[in-house]
Amino acid sequence: MISDKILKSIKNIPAFPAVAMKLMALIDDPNYSIMDVADVLKYDQAITANMLRICNSAYFGLRHKVVTINDAVMRLGQQNIVRAVQAAGVSTFYKKAKGYGLEANKLWEHSVGVALMTQILSKRIFNCEDAKLYTTALLHDIGKVIMGEFVDESFPQIHNLVLKEGISFLDAEEKIIGINHAELGGRIASQWNFPKDMRDAIIYHHRPDLMQDEDNNGAWLVYLADQACIMMGIGLGSDGLAYKGLSEVIIKFKLRQRDFEECIMLMFEDLDRAREVIGMI
Amino acid sequence: MSEIVIGISDFKVSNNINDVLVTYALGSCVGVTIYDPAVKVGGLLHFMLPESSLDMRKAGENPAMFADTGIPLLFKACYELGAKKKRMIVKVAGGASILDDANFFRIGQKNVTAMKRLFWKNNVLVEGEDTGSNFNRTFSIHISTGKVFVRTAHNGTRELV
Repeated sequence: MISDKILKSIKNIPAFPAVAMKLMALIDDPNYSIMDVADVLKYDQAITANMLRICNSAYFGLRHKVVTINDAVMRLGQQNIVRAVQAAGVSTFYKKAKGYGLEANKLWEHSVGVALMTQILSKRIFNCEDAKLYTTALLHDIGKVIMGEFVDESFPQIHNLVLKEGISFLDAEEKIIGINHAELGGRIASQWNFPKDMRDAIIYHHRPDLMQDEDNNGAWLVYLADQACIMMGIGLGSDGLAYKGLSEVIIKFKLRQRDFEECIMLMFEDLDRAREVIGMI
Repeated sequence: MSEIVIGISDFKVSNNINDVLVTYALGSCVGVTIYDPAVKVGGLLHFMLPESSLDMRKAGENPAMFADTGIPLLFKACYELGAKKKRMIVKVAGGASILDDANFFRIGQKNVTAMKRLFWKNNVLVEGEDTGSNFNRTFSIHISTGKVFVRTAHNGTRELV
C-alpha cells in the first residue's frame, strides 16, 4: 500500500519544463539542426538565462562571453547546448531535495556524475554519445526527491531489513514504504509523459535484468554508471552500496574490469570540470 | 578545532593539534589514517583504486588516487613532520561493495587487498579496521589525540579502536 501522502507528493511535483521536453523530442530526430534547437529555446527566459550562465562557466572554457542563444549554439555545438539546457531544466527538481542523509546538492551531484558516466560508457561501448541518455541519467533518481523524507522517517526499519535479510535497499524501501524510489521515479516520468524507453530506464535503473525490453541499452548504461558513482561515493547516501550487482552487464557490453576503472577515472575528470555547473543551483 | 576535509584521491598530513582530518562518503574507496603519538603527527589518505599500473600518467599526476602510490606518499609526508615508522598507528576504513559481490564490482575488496599486501610487505600492522559490507562511511582523525572515528547512517559516530 502506498500512502496517500506519497501519491499526493507525486501529484504536486511541478511539470517538466516544456522547453526541455521539446528538446528531448527534437534530439530524438536524427536530422535536427542547430537552428531548431535555438528555435525551441527562445520561448523560455529562465532556462535560457540559466543555460547562458552554464555556457559561460569554466566547464566549457570559453574565452569570450556568450550572450545570445544563437551565439551559444554556434560556439558550443548542439551536443553541449542540449546538455546545458537539460541540466538547467532538471536541476530545478533537485534544488530542495532532502533525504537519504544527504546535503541538499549531493543528489544533484550524483545525478550529474551518472549522466557524465553514461556518456563515457556510451562512447567506449558504442562509439557515440547520446543526449537522450544523458537526460535520462540526470533524472534516474528523481524518485528520491520525494522518497527522501519517507526513507529518513523509516530508516531504522529499512536498514534492519537490509542487514537481517540481506535484501537490497530498493526491496527494503518497497517492503516498508510500499514503493521504491525507482518505481516512484517511473510514476513521475509517466506524469511528465516521458517516452517508454526513458521511463523504463528510470524504473529499472537498479534492476535492468527485470526489464522486458531487451533492446533498451539505456537502462543498462544508467545502471552501470549509477553503480560506478555509488561505489565511488559520489552523492552516496544512507542507502550506501546496498544494491544488486548484476555481472551479466559485463558480458552484455564486453567490458573488462580495466575498461570500467578507466571510465571511472575519466568520469572524475569530467565531474571536476562540471563542478561549477553543480554549484550553480 | 578546525576541520580539514580530504576529498577523493587526496591526502593531508598535520602536526597541528587543533586539526581534525576528515573524509566523507567512503564507498568502495578506502581511507587510511596514520599517527605517531610521540610527536602528534598524523595523516589521512582517501584512495580510489588499487593499482597505479592502470594509468601510470595519472598516478604521476595524482599518486593519492591509488593504494600502491598513495600509501607510501602518506607515510613520507608524515616522516617529513618528524614521525617515525616504528611508532606509527595505522587504521583503515571503507572498501565497501555492491551486494552479491559480482566480480565486476569488486573494487572495494580489491582496494582492501592491495592495501594489505602493501602493509604486509612493509611490516606495517593495522591496529584498527572497519572495512567491507555495503555501507557509506565518514572517517576522521583528531591530531591532538590520534583518536579515529567512523560515522555511518545506522550507527552514528563510533571510535575505531
